[in-house]
Amino acid sequence: MISENRVSVELKGLRKVYGTAVALDNFSLDIAPGELVALLGPSGCGKTTALRILAGLDTDHEGQILIDGKDIASVPANKRNMGMVFQAYSLFPTMTVLENVAYGLRVRRVDREKRNKKAQELLDLVGLGEMGARLGHQLSGGQQQRVALARALAIQPNVLLLDEPLSALDAQVRTQLRDEIKRIQIEVGTTTLFVTHDQEEAMAIADRVGVMRHGVLEQCAPPQEVYLNPATVKVAKFVGAMNLMPVEILSSSSVSIYGQSVALREGGSVPGTMALVRPEQLSLTLAKTQGRASATVFNLTFLGPLTRISVRMTGDARTLFVSMPSSAALEFVAGSLVDLRVLATSVLLDA
Amino acid sequence: MKQRLNFSNYIVLLAASAFFIFPMVAAFEFSLRINEGKSYGFANYRWVFAEDGFATNLGVSFRLALLTAICVLVLMVPTIVYLHLGGARWKRLVEFVCLVPLVVPVISFALGVGTAFPTFLQSTVYELSFLYVIVSLPYTYRALDVGLSSIPLLTLVEASRASGASMRQTLMYVIIPTIRTAVNGAIFLAVALSLGEFTLAVLLHWDTFPTWIANVSQGHILNAIALSVLSLFGAWIVVMIFALAPKSLRSNKIQEATK
Repeated sequence: MISENRVSVELKGLRKVYGTAVALDNFSLDIAPGELVALLGPSGCGKTTALRILAGLDTDHEGQILIDGKDIASVPANKRNMGMVFQAYSLFPTMTVLENVAYGLRVRRVDREKRNKKAQELLDLVGLGEMGARLGHQLSGGQQQRVALARALAIQPNVLLLDEPLSALDAQVRTQLRDEIKRIQIEVGTTTLFVTHDQEEAMAIADRVGVMRHGVLEQCAPPQEVYLNPATVKVAKFVGAMNLMPVEILSSSSVSIYGQSVALREGGSVPGTMALVRPEQLSLTLAKTQGRASATVFNLTFLGPLTRISVRMTGDARTLFVSMPSSAALEFVAGSLVDLRVLATSVLLDA
Repeated sequence: MKQRLNFSNYIVLLAASAFFIFPMVAAFEFSLRINEGKSYGFANYRWVFAEDGFATNLGVSFRLALLTAICVLVLMVPTIVYLHLGGARWKRLVEFVCLVPLVVPVISFALGVGTAFPTFLQSTVYELSFLYVIVSLPYTYRALDVGLSSIPLLTLVEASRASGASMRQTLMYVIIPTIRTAVNGAIFLAVALSLGEFTLAVLLHWDTFPTWIANVSQGHILNAIALSVLSLFGAWIVVMIFALAPKSLRSNKIQEATK
């Protein structure tokens, strides 16, 4: 089942304008053969536009699209050999599940026996081997998206394009199908572009995550790096939660946060006045000497494995969020006087 | 959900059926009279089939209907799909153009449009088909427009394109099967219109089934009634075929699907 044609994808300087709105601006992205890249961003950030341009469904753009080094900008959508799964359920309503999966081969004039065999293989791959004779509307949402995935893979695409395929599903099915897409993608090895507005989804599934804002790719890096070393303030604020903490500048490479000195990282706004610190990069201890407590616990939110604690600083009454394992959070209650420590070794500055 | 009919529903239903059934029964009874009303028989019907020109003119009308239906489909389905996919700014214009045949009297239309046709068309009876296409535009446009509005057209088209289908394949394999009911409706309207159209045929001096009926029934009242009963049944059978055929196709598919 491993795809023989693992291709590289290069998008170079894409620009797309709708009326006066710039959907994509100088957008460049390289995807290595067999890699899964997720584009992550809020709605309207241009991530779907980038995917649709790659698919050939949106035209009239500037810039190059190279597949294995060949520019395909002038190739129409139906000749690009890309498999696509849409956000909306898109199974052809008059065809059975098997016919849906075999459709791409049918329009390529593969004979019936051969294409049905291939379609059956793919239905087995997505775990719906028994469902071939059903019609699309007889399946649940998650099953329909699996069929759509099988249909996209049946043509042995050069590139697999997934346009928020999980958004219409409920939470449990979403997680399950997400893991399954990852498994199948590794199994078939097709170069994949996955578009989503869900951070957790992007982090969980992608080899690299591309964070987009306002038509611009802010950072494209492995999930850990995007989370731990965000390249820009926008990325830092969009991915995961961030506390804004006031700083005093000590030197060009270090700052002091509530009296604790921490190294500065490049990429932030300089000169900035606020440090960006993640809730889990803060720790709390019950104050030993009541009078000198740096903060007061304000509220606790139990989130299962983690508990999020909001604290109010004694000095400037600023509210900060701290997250820690729920077992460690047991010793705190609303009103506890606590000392706050910054665990981060380096921080980004925000204006 | 099955609703039981109560007494007053039955009264309304009976009254309505009587309204339709009595004239038909009476016409049928009348058409069976022979020997100046002294006995019953099918002589009047036999006369219809034996009369000169029955088969020829019926044949002409059927061929016209077929050509009209084909032209309507080839012209209207791609056009309306285009309007729904990206040509929205033309929609008003096309809608307006499709309404024009309702406003322009057939008489002015027949002579005007008739002479505008290329001469090779003017010399054959099939010019009527092209006029029927125009006359049926207001109805066929509505039928197809409603059908296409009721499906997620853009997603289906994009899914089909991404699977590698050309626009023609997308139309044939995806769109037309999905709006089968609307397409059938449009075909039915075009066929019914061309089978029954009288004015244009007379004005342009062509013989079709309706003009033939008008001719032969003059002076033969019993034969005329027999003819109208026959055409009523004919029309009813066509309606039944259109109403039932797609449903049985669909249910076959579902049976296959669930077995």
